[in-house]
Amino acid sequence: MNGYNFAYLDEQTKRMIRRALLKAVAIPGYQVPFGGREMPMPYGWGTGGMQLTASILGADDVLKVIDQGADDTTNAVSIRAFFERVAGVETTTATRAASIIQTRHRIPETPLEPGQILVFQVPIPEPLRFIEPSERETRLMHALEEYGVMHVKLYEDIARHGHIATTYAYPVKVDGRYVMDPSPIPKFDNPKLDMSPALLLFGAGREKRLYAIPPHTRVESLDFEDHPFEIQRWDERCALCDSAESFLDEVITDDAGGRMFVCSDTDYCERRREESA
Amino acid sequence: MPWPTLNDPVHDSQRMFRQLLAAMSEPGTLHTLAAPAPPQDVIGPALWGALLTLCDLDVRVLLAPALDTPALREALVFHTGCCLTDEPGSADFALMTPATLCEAPEFALGSDEYPERSTTLLVALEFLDSGDTGSGTWRLSGPGIPAQRTLRMEERARPLMLRLAANRQGFPCGLDAILGCGERLAALPRTTRIEEVV
Repeated sequence: MNGYNFAYLDEQTKRMIRRALLKAVAIPGYQVPFGGREMPMPYGWGTGGMQLTASILGADDVLKVIDQGADDTTNAVSIRAFFERVAGVETTTATRAASIIQTRHRIPETPLEPGQILVFQVPIPEPLRFIEPSERETRLMHALEEYGVMHVKLYEDIARHGHIATTYAYPVKVDGRYVMDPSPIPKFDNPKLDMSPALLLFGAGREKRLYAIPPHTRVESLDFEDHPFEIQRWDERCALCDSAESFLDEVITDDAGGRMFVCSDTDYCERRREESA
Repeated sequence: MPWPTLNDPVHDSQRMFRQLLAAMSEPGTLHTLAAPAPPQDVIGPALWGALLTLCDLDVRVLLAPALDTPALREALVFHTGCCLTDEPGSADFALMTPATLCEAPEFALGSDEYPERSTTLLVALEFLDSGDTGSGTWRLSGPGIPAQRTLRMEERARPLMLRLAANRQGFPCGLDAILGCGERLAALPRTTRIEEVV
């Protein structure tokens, strides 16, 4: 596209983000501040993820973009079209065919492979923010590895509800050191972070923070001995592909209480339907 | 003869950055950088490519005395616009030989609050391979490494590796290193546990 640099961002911005990414990978789970730029869309739509994608994207990459697991929702379609236009890269909806996957709030059901990069869009990168509003304090808490308050929050869940009621953005500890917000993915996806063969990058545009989990890195979801971490389970199966393993969305089908459960990962669901057809 | 720069700065630096990112996220893996070769043989194409990819006017670079030639200074400043510094503590990148690390310059290690404000070492080696036996072999484990990897380098690199092995005590502060030998490159971030194979 004329008038813009390859992948929209200028080269100096890309270099700044690239240097920050190398540090993020060297300190897994630590939030590296970066000079976030304005992107041609509002904060909250994935500007952080887009800046990371723009900084790592090459002409021979194949890009997939998902929003809550779906390739065909507004956010995913817009971001995919954006990079088609400003970088001319090939795009795909197939998880296996993609070299870079930008995601909002899901990890694909199809297992990731070595060499793939998953870029998460993050609204609020600081896992301690709802407990401690001061950035200065949270920074100090990370420095001192002072994470007791996070367990108190989970304990309060148990005291009130009888179980840990946090279902998404469930806090994790990376390589036994930093407590990290895995972005608002359902806790169903948390086990996929542990020892992932793919590189995981996280970008928060409004908060101007980026962080990373290298491949083959230990990622534990915080829990208690008597209340171990558990993922969501459904009694239903996907109404379209009959999967009993995937993360299901409940869809209201009429105004008489009709409903169905379908896979949130559209590519996974379509592939299963093709295979069984 | 002038030092060469990237033929296609946008796509060449993207390609080399992805190799650097892969090297840093999977410590001990070897990557071959197709970068222009400097005319003098003081640093190989891999380290020169890394410098061209990562440096710009926001960056301070320290050159080890053994590598500090007028030609390199001129080329680096001309092609990247970076600042050169003599203060190890203020350097973002330090171009080193293993010997310089014997003198233990005080590089920036970052702080507990801002561990990323540390110097990244770019070390010019004479030998770098993935061999798992013989003298100068180091066993690596930690994030980015499925079980363990090994990396073999010249005997002279011992002080460097001992220094990097000490990173674990100061974590999250510490030094990250990019090792270059000719066109070949590997990286050792501060998270890597390093043991000598004896």
